[in-house]
Parts: sequence; structure tokens; C-alpha cells
Amino acid sequence: MATLHTDVLVIGGGSTGVGVARDAAMRGFSTVLVDRGDLATGTTGRFHGLLHSGGRYVVKDPKAAEECIHENVILRRIAADCIEDTGGLFVSTPIDTPEYADRFVEGCRAAGIPVEEIPVAEALRREPRMNPLISRAFTVPDASVDSWKTVWACARSAQAYGSRILPYHEVLDLTVEGGAVRGALVKDRRGGEDVRIDADFVVNASGAWAGRIAAMAGCDATVLPGKGIMIAMNHRLVNTVVNRCEMPADGDIIVPIRTVSVIGTTDQKVADPDDWQIARDEVQKMMDAGENLVPGFRRARALRVWGGVRPLFQDKAEGADTRDVTRAHTLLNHRQRDGVERFLTITGGKFCTFRLMAEDTVDALCAEVGVEHACRTADEPLPDSEPGRYYWLGSRVERREPTLHEDQLICECELVSRRRLEAAMLRRETVDLDDIRRTIRLGMGPCQGGFCIYRATGILHQVEKIPGEAANRSLLDFVQERWKGVQPILYGDQLRQARLDDWIFQGILDVAHLPGGWVGAA
Amino acid sequence: MSADAVVVGAGLAGLTAGVRLAEAGLRTTLVGKGPGAMHLAPATIDVLGYAPDLVERPAAALPSFVAERPDHPYARLSADTVAASAEWLSAHMPPLAYVGTLEENYLLPTAVGVPKPSAFVPEAMAAGDLRSGSRFAFAGLRALKDFYPALLADNLSQAKLPTGVTVDARAVHLSDPGTEADVSPLGYARMFEDREFRSVVAAELLPRLEPGESVGFPSVLGLHEHRTTWLDLQDRLGRPVFEVPTLPPSVAGIRLFHALRDAFLAAGGRLLIGSTAAGAETKDGVVTHVVIQTAAARPTPIEARWFVLATGGFAEGAIFLDSYGEVHESVFGLAVSGVPAAGEPRFVPRYFDDQPMGRAGIAVDERLRPLDADGNVAFRNLFTAGAALGGAEPWRELSGNGLALASGFAVASAIVEWAS
Ligand SMILES: Cc1cc2nc3c(=O)[nH]c(=O)nc-3n(C[C@H](O)[C@H](O)[C@H](O)COP(=O)(O)OP(=O)(O)OC[C@H]3O[C@@H](n4cnc5c(N)ncnc54)[C@H](O)[C@@H]3O)c2cc1C
Ligand SMILES: Cc1cc2nc3c(=O)[nH]c(=O)nc-3n(C[C@H](O)[C@H](O)[C@H](O)COP(=O)(O)OP(=O)(O)OC[C@H]3O[C@@H](n4cnc5c(N)ncnc54)[C@H](O)[C@@H]3O)c2cc1C
Repeated sequence: MATLHTDVLVIGGGSTGVGVARDAAMRGFSTVLVDRGDLATGTTGRFHGLLHSGGRYVVKDPKAAEECIHENVILRRIAADCIEDTGGLFVSTPIDTPEYADRFVEGCRAAGIPVEEIPVAEALRREPRMNPLISRAFTVPDASVDSWKTVWACARSAQAYGSRILPYHEVLDLTVEGGAVRGALVKDRRGGEDVRIDADFVVNASGAWAGRIAAMAGCDATVLPGKGIMIAMNHRLVNTVVNRCEMPADGDIIVPIRTVSVIGTTDQKVADPDDWQIARDEVQKMMDAGENLVPGFRRARALRVWGGVRPLFQDKAEGADTRDVTRAHTLLNHRQRDGVERFLTITGGKFCTFRLMAEDTVDALCAEVGVEHACRTADEPLPDSEPGRYYWLGSRVERREPTLHEDQLICECELVSRRRLEAAMLRRETVDLDDIRRTIRLGMGPCQGGFCIYRATGILHQVEKIPGEAANRSLLDFVQERWKGVQPILYGDQLRQARLDDWIFQGILDVAHLPGGWVGAA
Repeated sequence: MSADAVVVGAGLAGLTAGVRLAEAGLRTTLVGKGPGAMHLAPATIDVLGYAPDLVERPAAALPSFVAERPDHPYARLSADTVAASAEWLSAHMPPLAYVGTLEENYLLPTAVGVPKPSAFVPEAMAAGDLRSGSRFAFAGLRALKDFYPALLADNLSQAKLPTGVTVDARAVHLSDPGTEADVSPLGYARMFEDREFRSVVAAELLPRLEPGESVGFPSVLGLHEHRTTWLDLQDRLGRPVFEVPTLPPSVAGIRLFHALRDAFLAAGGRLLIGSTAAGAETKDGVVTHVVIQTAAARPTPIEARWFVLATGGFAEGAIFLDSYGEVHESVFGLAVSGVPAAGEPRFVPRYFDDQPMGRAGIAVDERLRPLDADGNVAFRNLFTAGAALGGAEPWRELSGNGLALASGFAVASAIVEWAS
């Protein structure tokens, strides 16, 4: 069994975990980060894409609101390349309580969120598809943010500071000796080997799974998994983040993300963060909510639906509605709570507060081991980000234009060129097209991979020099992965698209009869 | 406007019906929103490929296939009709020269290297037949992103053929001239029509070929000058050359579309491409008009005695599923059969599992006339052909073009018979 030694072991490669790894590495600790899957394949890769101003929480959860605006300002500085500065609107729709608007404004002022009321006509001029029956409108500094890009930028930064990042390494057990956590037993899910990681300190940043990891050390952490779904609609139905001005409810926000707009979300307690379904009535509810914000929503083309589970910490697992649990984060010191040393759990919170969560965690870690190193993550931008240089909708076209005639376009929907694809394959050292998808958004546009999956498989086979069967498996898994997110919302024009894809895969290519064949995704 | 017959849909089903009606002397108007699946699909006429196991002999397999599936459109079409329709097509499309019989399926390589069953195929694809094994070289073109011969050859070498033979396949990557990195299949089709280009390609390829190897190219060997292009390459390389279909747009399919369109116009048919049939007028169980809509003009009714619905089903949007899960046929408001009950799932999570909506479409009587929800003929003078028909899952069965051709052929027969 291979053995690694490190100062700090971070469990979980979501935003929280990579934030902790980066922060700890920048403060001089040697760190190893493990995730059972690829980075950002937990909740972080399945969220709504909103860089909160905090406006959503000002009435219900002022502490969370304050954290959000504090971090919103910082992330705009350090992660500009991952953010599109869309701005946000809160609007009172006909089904909202009119009195809420005044409480909202008051709450924003108290939390320090810049808020301004604008005339309804002005709001409709900015967002002409929005429900014309809205009665009030407010601007706030919401934005849209790309979690994959952020996580990978953090990971690269952590690596530059000496961190080891180990995706597809699952923690099977924690080693506890003499009242302290000493490391973990980890399984390499790609290579199949077990690895022992000896660590002076362990940080549990496993989100909705944090209770399970804590239990491996005999500690208690109750995390309520709160499931939410989102639907991506083709095109930008709105160009600004549009929120209902109301207590947080289902389907009350539309976020413009790149070329699509995403409506979300719901909140439903589930028993197991790995086992839940997207229900038909949940989808219908989301559609109705969309109609309320943007009339005609149901006639637009739904591209994909997905869900994620919120890690919501509760000291006693009783509350019925998970939406009532605070969205602020929680840091558990297991020495104080359970008498187990050198072990912290960081959970709850939001994507947009990940940096703060990491700072608090590493501060506590320093205190536990008795050293003093200042946190620098609020000042040092992530790789590729410069303060003020936000991502913008034309970025990809801008990058493509100079090489239009020199490089092939492999994924037309997301403007992925051949060189970019090949570079990603080599850099990621993976034969899994789904890993590539998350890295460069391959196959995530309207055609959902109909055209680029065959191309990418052919290129993968060439670049990685893998046998045909491995390439076939990757192709079939990708087809299945795409279908999974399409089938619950398949209607209208997207069904036409799906039929075209059926004909490409089953008719032209006949992939169902490839050697190695269809064995079914796990 | 008036006509004897109006065909709605300019795909293989609609054009086949249209050509036959016009040739029988009926004043025929064909209305098509666009060119349909022919611009996208390989031009092979796949009659029945999987049932669900590989079908080697479609003629022999059809009787039990329809016996198990009484609602399948093939249950309304005899094997003779299917064979006659293919013969008719071969006779009408001399430049494409279809070959094959209903007795046996070819097994032709797909672009990813699967031996795919097809009954009738364009002459220029036939040399790819894998059934007797053989040695193949697949040529990759420098700037074509839609064809990966190394993967193709790799898979083909692993393929298990029912005849028990093995296939010896390899890739040859060409560095054909040109500066653009990204050339479409149509761009290559134009380039191949140029003798000079062919001579450069042949000069690069010839020394790299082994004795006894046939050569597969992506299906881009000429559009308007296809036959001379193909024969000339074959001459230059001194061995069989064949095309392998790949991603849309389909050059081979566009050739077929051109051939059918020209035959329709030559027979005096009136073609309205770019027009949508937006509705119909009916009276006493008979359709009297379809109402067509173009971008510019006002809705125009066309009066006729017979109507053919060949709108291509869900893929073309003429039958559509709305966001509440309800299904609509948009021209005649027909009932759509095979739709799961309200509240039941339309699709299931695993892609290759049986999809509940898979066979939804128009149910028809023996003469291919649509049925209403109670199983009665909806309109006496309305016929249906092609992918709009329910009861089939043609992308799984590999029966799409076979059904479109045979049903288009059959509705024309029914109308011509009625007219005389
Ligand atoms: C529907 C929904 C919408 C949301 N929208 C927003 C939004 O718009 N804006 C926002 O700021 N926040 C949003 N959030 C909240 C935000 O997404 C989460 O709070 C945040 O992503 C949590 O990150 P994390 O790193 O703590 O958890 P995760 O991203 O879940 O990371 C935990 C990781 O631990 C790994 N893991 C689990 N078990 C093991 C093991 N045994 N060994 C190794 N690794 C393991 C998992 O694979 C996972 O990758 C949303 C949440 C949901 C559910
Ligand atoms: C990418 C692809 C690959 C395929 N591969 C194969 C294969 O390998 N083997 C095989 O056998 N089959 C294949 N097919 C399927 C085969 O091409 C179709 O099943 C067959 O062509 C159906 O023909 P059709 O005439 O019924 O419909 P279509 O070709 O779809 O034509 C429908 C026509 O109706 C028109 N239309 C629709 N609504 C209206 C309206 N309201 N008013 C006016 N016009 C309207 C459309 O514009 C179009 O002209 C493939 C199809 C595709 C798309």
C-alpha cells in the first residue's frame, strides 16, 4: 500500500475543500486534497450559478446575507475571470406580498448591500421578457459565477503552492490514535489501489457527506441534505439575475449563465445525499414559477435539468423544512465537541462564501497547532483572474476569432476548438469525456453532444492512444450522462433535438452495437 | 389554389408519394417546410436491421416481426410493396444506382466501425460490405472533423460478424492540400469533383496501400458529379472504393434529395419548399383544404381531392409534445397513439432502455389512413406516410428509410387506384 505524508489532509474537492487546500498551502502547510470523484462533482458542480449579493437572505437570514455581500466584493476582486457581472434585480410579481419589498430594502441597508429602487418601466426596458405586471423593482450586485472554473483555478493555485490534488480518491476510513485523527485510508478509484495518508491534521470539507466522514472518527455532525433542482433554458431569457422579491421560495430566481438561463430551485429534505430523484411535479412547479417571472417560459426550449444537495448543518436533526436552517456556515472543532483532536469539519454555507469558510477553517487549524500565519486569499487573485476583468458573453468568440481558419471547431455550441480539446485531454490525463466536459464545457450546449461526442471520441482515441473499447465506453457513458439530464424535461424543440441525436447515435453510427457494447452506466 | 393531390412533407416519404402521383398524371402540389431528414441521413434504405437481434435476411424476418407487432406500419405494408418501392427507387435514380435485395442485408461499416445492416444501398457504398471479410484501408481527410478512421478501423477489427470472418482494417491519414483547418463534408464534396484534387489524393494514397485492400472514404465523393468522381478515384487507385456515411449534413442524402426533387419537377409537380401547412379545412369526414403559411404571404388554402401527411413525426415538430406532456398533431389535429397515460413517464433514465414514448405516432388503417381516438378512419381522403406513422421505433430497428419509402410508395398506389 502506498503511503503519503502531509501536514494537512483535506477531504472533499468542492469549493470548500479547494478553498481550504489553497488557503492552507498559501500559509505554508503541505497539503493533500482528496475527492471520491472529480473536483466539483458534488454540490459545487450542481448549483445555481449565482454569486449572491446577499439580497435573498436579508429578511430571513441576515447573518448569511452579511457573509454573502462581504465575499461578493472579495470574489469580484480575486476571481473576476469566473464571474459575469450581470447585476441583479429583485422584482415584486403579482403573487408576491407587497409589504415584503420594504422589509427587503431595510434588510439590504442593514447588511450593507447596495440597493436601489428603479421605476418598473426601466426594469422592463432592461429585461423586456419579464412579467409586465411587476409592481416594484430593485437593483443589487448579484452576478453569475462559474463553479468549475473557480474550483479548478483554486486547485491550480494550491498546486502552485505545493498542494497535491487527488481526484477519484475516496476516503474509506479515518485513523484515530491517542484521541487524535492521524490520517485516512483512501481508495484510488481509477487505479484500484488503497493509499494510506498520514496527516498531522484533517479537515472534513465533504459538504452534504460531512456527517459520514465525521462518523468515521466517532464524531457527530448532523448535516441535512436539502435537495434542489434547476432547469437550463436555451438562450438568455434574461440578462440580469432576476429574483422574486419575496421570502425564499421555489423557483424564485433566474440566472443568466453563458448562453442559457437557469431557473431554480427547490428545497426538499432527503435521507441520502446519493439517492434521490427529480420528480415530475417538481419540474412542473419550476415551469409554473418560470411563467410567473417570464411569461412564455414554457414555450422556450428546456435543455437540461439537474439537482444538487445542500449541506445544511443542524445541531439536532429535527426541523422539517430545510429552508429554515441558516445558510451561514458552521465550523465544528471536534476536540471541543467530541474530544477528538486535530480534526475540523467545515460545512453549510454557500458557494459564494467558500473563501471565508476556508479562512475561518485555516485560522482555527493554526490556533489548534499553535502557529500564526496570516490569511492572504482575499488579496491574491486566482490564476487567470485580474481585478475588474470579468468574463463576458463574447469571451469565447473573441478567443476563437483569431484562429478561426487554423483550428477546427469541435463543439459548435460551446465553441470548443480542437487544440483546446486536445490540450484539456493531455492536461487532465483522463480517458473520461465527462471529465473533459466539466473542464471545457464540451457538449453542454443545445445539441447536448449530438455532434461533438463522436468527434471527441475519435480525438480521444488518437490523443490518448487508448484501445477502441476504452474509447467506446467513454462515448457510451457520455451519451448516457447527457440523456440523464435531458429526459425529465424532454418536450417541444428539445425533443426534436433528441430525435436527431437518436438518429446520429443509433442510426448513422449504430453505437448500441459497438464492441464492448452497452453495459449501462453505474 | 387547387390540385388533385396535396402532399405535406418533402422528405423521402413525401417526395416518393409526390413523384409517383405526378407521374400518374395527377396535378400534385408538394408543400414542405424544409428538406427533411434526407439532408442529414445516410442514403441507405434500411428496411429492418434489428428485431432486436441483428437481421441478416429482412424478407424472411418480416412476417414474424409484424406478427409480434400488429401495430407496426410494416403490418400494413406487404414485403412485396417494400421490394417494389426499392425497385422503383433504383429505376428512378440512375446516378445513384441502388443495389441490394430484400433477401439479405449488407453489413456496411459506420463511421465508428460498427457493421450496420442495410438492405438497399447506393452503388458507391456497396464495396464496404463486410460479410465476406476482407482487407480495408480507411482514408482520413486532413480537415474533416467528422470522420475518425483509426477508431473506425480499431473497432472493425474487433467486430464479431455473423459469418464468423474477421476484418482486417487500418487507417491512412491523408495530408490533402488546402489551408483551411475546418472543411465541411460539402466543402470536400466540391473539392473531390475537381480532377486535380483527386489526382493529388490518389498520388498520396496509392503508395501507402497494401495489395488487396479496398479503400473507404467518408461519404464526400462529389455532389453533382458523384458518379464520375467515384469511378475516377476507383480507376486511379485500381481497386474498389466506397463511401462511409458520417455526421450530418449528408452529401449522399442530398444527392438523393436532388434526384427525387428533379423527378418530381420533371413530372410536372408543383413544389412549395419553405411553406408550412398550418392547418386544414374539413367537412363531413373529408379534408377539403390545407392552409399553408409562408413567411411573407397570408395563409392560403389549397383545395384538393386527396391529401398525404408526410411530415416526419416528432423529429420535424409536426407532431409535438408540450411542456405539460400532451401530444399534438399540428396540421390536421389528428389523434396520436402510443402516448403513455397522463402522469406516466414519457421517457426513462437509461438511454438504451425501452422508451415509453418511442412508438408514439399516427395509427392507420390498412390503406394508411389515420385513425381517430376510437379507431375509426379520421378522414376518408387523408393518407399518412413516413416517420409520422406510429408503432415503430425506426432508429432502433434501423427501418427509417425503408418505412418512408415503402409507405410513400403505398399511399400513392392507394390514391392512384382511387382516382382511376
Ligand atoms: C440546488 C442548489 C443550488 C445552489 N445554488 C447556489 C448558488 O446559486 N450560489 C451559491 O453561492 N451557493 C449555492 N448553493 C450552495 C452551494 O452549492 C454549496 O453550499 C457548496 O457548493 C458546497 O460546497 P462544498 O465544497 O462544501 O460541498 P461539495 O461541493 O458537495 O463537496 C463535497 C465533496 O466531498 C466529496 N466526498 C464525499 N464523500 C467523500 C469521501 N468519502 N471521500 C472523498 N470525498 C468525498 C464529494 O464527492 C464532494 O465533491 C446551492 C446549493 C444547491 C443544492
Ligand atoms: C441524422 C439522421 C440519420 C438517419 N439515419 C438513418 C439510417 O441510417 N437509416 C435509415 O433507414 N433511416 C435513417 N434516418 C431516418 C430516415 O431518414 C427517416 O426516417 C425518414 O427519412 C423519414 O422520412 P419522412 O419523409 O417521413 O420525414 P422527413 O424526412 O423528416 O420529412 C418531413 C418533411 O415534412 C416537412 N414538414 C413537417 N411539418 C410540416 C408542416 N407543418 N408543413 C409543411 N411541411 C412540413 C419537413 O419540412 C420535411 O420536409 C435518419 C434520419 C436522420 C435525421
